[in-house]
Amino acid sequence: MAERWDRERVLALAPDAPSQRTALSLASGRAWPATGAAAGADAVWGECRGSASVPYRTAVDLSGPSYRCSCPSRKFPCKHVLALLLLWSEGSVPEDTAGPPDWAGSWLIARAERAGRASSGEPAEPKDPRAAARRAEQRETRVASGLAELGRWLCDQVRQGLAASQQAGYAHWDDIAARMVDAQAPGLAERLRALASVPHSGAGWDGRLLEEYALLHLLAVGYRRQAELPPPLRDTVRSRIGFSLRQADVLAGGPPIRDHWQVLARRDLEQDRIRTRRTWLRGRKTGRDALLLSFAAAGQALDDSLAVGADADADLVFYPGAVPLRAAVLARHDGGTPDGGPPDGGTIAGLLAGYAAALAADPWLDSWLTVVEIIPVRAPAPAVRGADGGSDGSDGSPGSPGSLPLHPGAGDCWPLFALSGGHPVTLAGEWTPRGLWPLTAWDETGRAVPL
Amino acid sequence: MSEWQDLVTASLIGTERAEVPAPAVPGLPVRAGAVPDDPAVLLLDRAALLTVARRGGTLIRPAGSGFQAEPLPVAEPDPARAVSPAAARRLARMLGGEHPDLLAEWLTAVVARGRRVPPRLLPALLDRVRRISPADPELRRLSAEAGGARARWLARLNPDWTFVTALTESGGDTWRLGGKNQRRGYLSALRARDPAAARELITQSWAAAGPERVMFLSVLANQGLSLADEPVLEAALDERDAEVRGWAAHLLARLPGSALGQRMARRAAGCLRIERGVRGTRLIAAPPAGCDATMRRDGVTSRRGGGLAEMDGRTHLLHEVLARTPLRTWTGQFGRTAEQILAVPSGAWAPVLFTGWSRAAMAQRDQDWMTALVDWALAGGPTGTLFGAETLRQLARRADPARCARETTAGPAAEIPLPIRDAISVLRFRYDMLKELEL
Repeated sequence: MAERWDRERVLALAPDAPSQRTALSLASGRAWPATGAAAGADAVWGECRGSASVPYRTAVDLSGPSYRCSCPSRKFPCKHVLALLLLWSEGSVPEDTAGPPDWAGSWLIARAERAGRASSGEPAEPKDPRAAARRAEQRETRVASGLAELGRWLCDQVRQGLAASQQAGYAHWDDIAARMVDAQAPGLAERLRALASVPHSGAGWDGRLLEEYALLHLLAVGYRRQAELPPPLRDTVRSRIGFSLRQADVLAGGPPIRDHWQVLARRDLEQDRIRTRRTWLRGRKTGRDALLLSFAAAGQALDDSLAVGADADADLVFYPGAVPLRAAVLARHDGGTPDGGPPDGGTIAGLLAGYAAALAADPWLDSWLTVVEIIPVRAPAPAVRGADGGSDGSDGSPGSPGSLPLHPGAGDCWPLFALSGGHPVTLAGEWTPRGLWPLTAWDETGRAVPL
Repeated sequence: MSEWQDLVTASLIGTERAEVPAPAVPGLPVRAGAVPDDPAVLLLDRAALLTVARRGGTLIRPAGSGFQAEPLPVAEPDPARAVSPAAARRLARMLGGEHPDLLAEWLTAVVARGRRVPPRLLPALLDRVRRISPADPELRRLSAEAGGARARWLARLNPDWTFVTALTESGGDTWRLGGKNQRRGYLSALRARDPAAARELITQSWAAAGPERVMFLSVLANQGLSLADEPVLEAALDERDAEVRGWAAHLLARLPGSALGQRMARRAAGCLRIERGVRGTRLIAAPPAGCDATMRRDGVTSRRGGGLAEMDGRTHLLHEVLARTPLRTWTGQFGRTAEQILAVPSGAWAPVLFTGWSRAAMAQRDQDWMTALVDWALAGGPTGTLFGAETLRQLARRADPARCARETTAGPAAEIPLPIRDAISVLRFRYDMLKELEL
């Protein structure tokens, strides 16, 4: 029998918050007249009384995991799957030695057979190196022509004026994004798709759109003149365009850096049914910041091995770039790393100086790990005020601690205010051009609290 | 930076019609070399330069520079400790929609132990209580108390949460001049502090209170109900308003020493007897013959309806009398404990005995009976009816989970009836919930 999942792991599978809520309300014995779990086959099944006259039939193959439900919901996994897993996680699904009923059994057997076939297949053979070189060359040609086209498109936008963008629909950006996908430049496509919402993002949208167009233009110019760039900056340009490195190659290539990495903050994002988890680390000895990315398709769980507030003794390898932040874990040395307590909070002036220095090396950097000692204020929008005595002369008035806005998308941030009670707190978050996105605060007992 | 705004304006109009301004970035050398021919390229070049310069040069906004960032008042220290991390996680689960009906029990236990809600969960708690509290003002009082100093501090920042301070900062004027909810808050707070003073205030205000009398009785119900409240309640049995009469009868039935309880005990005494026959000991019931005016005064209704539709008229009367009879009537009459009484076979009477005694046990807050009844039900007892299932649902939310069986021996797991599985899940949840609060 597989190890029973805890409820957090089950809830993490939910495609959105409403699904979590409905699943929780469905996860009582009343809705489930018949449930069962396989003794050895790692599967759960059940019949759920829903609005239809026939009960919905739900089955989960826990090894995948993969799900099946007879309900018409287009969410995946649906609330019935989540509710069934919740019941199973709290031990309310009895083990059924007789095995699954026919409707669940046939599907589970078919899955097991497919899994058997897949795992017996040989791992991918190394391909013909000459063919690989030819493909790489073809890709460079495609990207170059794609970027030339993007350059023309950007010029057209500013030639005709951005005012028209407010009337343009999503297709305006989706079309050029699709052409960047054809040109094998997925990084550009992603940036372009995200622009569709900018004209409706409130006051200052025109400036924000121009910023993004200008930075795309800078990427196109950077690619065209990559031969003149120092190698780390060239790596940055290429990775932002979408030339991705395989994690295995990165791990094999770079020097590992061992440290006690503090797991400071975590942020989950979702775009195009792909969920991304950004985990920010800071080395206690090296002082280096690292960003781990983990991806999951809808319905799959994100990597949960690094909990915010803990320390991890690990070897990290950094991806190459002008400001190497992204890293991958090569090995963990878990001999019980002690919780090192809260991180040292810096000043707002220090944060901005660090970000400016990083921008000088990587002008596209728009997300920067921030650990500051602050007091949240309402001014009237939520903001933070430095807890230090005063700014370091950047505004020329000693004794007046500066303040920074919180990101408008972060909402009211009431938990941060509640935690602070008007007192200074150590706050970790992402500094972005639109403001600070608060992610973790440390309470007076030194415990990390995700916000 | 007006240079940036000039560039944005030019880009809005378009370089076909607008000149491209040449911004100067302080400290940056002007790049020698050819200026691009295409004004659109020139504009994008300059915009890129300014974008990065502006991002890198974000100025700290000093206090008083039009961006008001005056510090907030500092929350007063709270000597009470926050609950354990496990208890905090459970609160987060309840606020996330799991067993939200147990929130009041959780908060009551936190207040009783002198602990506090962890600050970070206060916003979610206060939002939830605000949404549901018109129907449950007691929840407001509990959350304000369990939230402590930090909740009062937050309430001064967010107008949505003013109910927290309204409860703790109201004076005598609130009673004379306040609206219904404020008066209710004032009375609840007074009742929590000084039950006799609240009773005195109710007695003085009774004649002029009109429709507020129901509110008075519900405040009495929530806290500190004792035999000292009996005269007020007994007088209310003769009110014209049926809702007031119903409340009064309900509260008097909760007080085992009340005159109403004694009247009920006399009516009930002949209804149940234990017989030892050749086929063993049996519990035999004889329902009351009818419902007279004195019974109606004491809250007994002869009408059938709602969940009771499955009972005939006299069985229903038996249920009404059992539900209001002090439970020690039975332990005294039979010389047996609750557990032993429930163990006597009662045949077809079992469902009505179960629901009647359960209602009495819940009203009288009698844990001996509640746990015995839960154990009876979980052992496959008399919950076969719809009404029995609902009664078990309520019992599982009130019986002391540490004293109840939290599993069933009734049959193989796959065949356990749903109400029993639901009750077990609630009892386990409450057991863990209360244990965590001891940490």
